[in-house]
Amino acid sequence: MMGFWDRMEKIDRRWIYLLVGLAVIVPFLIPMKFPVSVSPEARSFYDAVEALPDSCTVMLVFDYYPSTMAETEPMAIVGARHLFSKDCKIITLTNIPYGAPSMAESVTRMVAAEYGKEYGTDYVNLGYKYGYTAVLKGMGMSIEDIFPTDNSGTPLSEIPMMDSIVNYEQISFVFEVADNATADYWISIVNAGYGVPMGVGCTAVMAPKYYAFVGAGQIVGLLGGMKGAAEYEILIEQEGTAFRGMDIQSLVHFLIIAFVVIGNIGYFAGRRHRRKV
Amino acid sequence: MRTAAPVAVAFLSGVILVISFFFNEEKTVVGGLSQELLNWVIIVGGFTLLLGMVSIIRVNWAAVQRRKENWIYRLFTLIAIFAAAIPSLLPPSWSPLFGRAEGSIYDWLFVYLQAPMMATMFATLAFYIASAAYRAFRARSADATLLLITATLVMLWRVPMGEAFLNLFPGDVPNIINDYIMNGANLAVQRGIIIGAALGAASMSLRIILGIERTYMGKG
Repeated sequence: MMGFWDRMEKIDRRWIYLLVGLAVIVPFLIPMKFPVSVSPEARSFYDAVEALPDSCTVMLVFDYYPSTMAETEPMAIVGARHLFSKDCKIITLTNIPYGAPSMAESVTRMVAAEYGKEYGTDYVNLGYKYGYTAVLKGMGMSIEDIFPTDNSGTPLSEIPMMDSIVNYEQISFVFEVADNATADYWISIVNAGYGVPMGVGCTAVMAPKYYAFVGAGQIVGLLGGMKGAAEYEILIEQEGTAFRGMDIQSLVHFLIIAFVVIGNIGYFAGRRHRRKV
Repeated sequence: MRTAAPVAVAFLSGVILVISFFFNEEKTVVGGLSQELLNWVIIVGGFTLLLGMVSIIRVNWAAVQRRKENWIYRLFTLIAIFAAAIPSLLPPSWSPLFGRAEGSIYDWLFVYLQAPMMATMFATLAFYIASAAYRAFRARSADATLLLITATLVMLWRVPMGEAFLNLFPGDVPNIINDYIMNGANLAVQRGIIIGAALGAASMSLRIILGIERTYMGKG
């Protein structure tokens, strides 16, 4: 028996990789569709967006790198869908130079096509500008000062949607999707400094930190990781990639827990055996 | 002079930005000054990006010329930089392949090369985490056991299948985890860390503004 646990402790890691690979592939082929419950944090986020007046202007911020797209992009997509369904005008921007302007472009273009929205009248992509603290602070006085042109180089003065938008006073809400600490600056500069209400969608590893901001009322709600995105998909009644990803994440989480349990049993059984010897 | 000038610039910039926080930015002189300074931050920052790019090109080109170890990867770095930068800088009016819009070379490189490669690198972490969990996550002490139990509960709570499993037990276990772990112990600890970090940042800013902290000039 001890031999078995010893062998288990020294198992070739390629078996572990194989099992993880299967746990990712199998739910693709056989969807399980476990019901997704909605957390209070996601519910309050949705309620805050739902309560926004129709046709208001919202900033949808793409502060994430392509590496975390699986978790963060579904949040940006559901955010854009919810906002366009309410006829809100969307300003997208990013503090990440690494491809984020392109992601903002492709997500908003895709969702805008679903809702028949036009660039320049219903949404604008400001792109990226270096120095997030200066950018966030500077937009408090004048967005055009910081972003004289949009992402493709068109002057903001030539974009009809931006005619009536000067600074944060005309922004009703900030929908921040982030995989890094830029969300902290949005909270401390834009929410605390200018009183703009905001919600944060972030990766699962970041989520524990932002519970503190929800508790303090600095952000209206929180979408944590792919589960948070799936919760929002349920709330807007449009199941997407995050909802489908829940089966995979469920199986992989169970597998990792099983590995931890087996690894610990092997560790303690092996320790007892070694003491006896 | 070489020390006094940067300290004076840091002092004035810091003081103006701090003072502007307490005044109406649109109606006061200090507001206009702070906006001007913020524009300067963006402009100077843009040049640092350019400096970084020039530095990468110089270092890698020198290594390629001397056929240093792994020079072929450095060559690919240079090719990637120019392949992405040049078409994106050329005006789209010349060709739809230029600029950064959908259908351009830059967009194609991002959508079909950069994004999948970065996502793949990140996704491979799942395999390493599983392997590490099996080999390293041991209940060796009371602290480690507490961490292990909490992590297991949160991992179960964060996925629908785990939530269904937790609901098999009496009491509303998922809500208990949300209330007592995430909005209880976690929130308290995170709040302490955030407040501590903010105080640290404030004191460091003060040290820089007053010229006590000069390491940003390469001096102790």
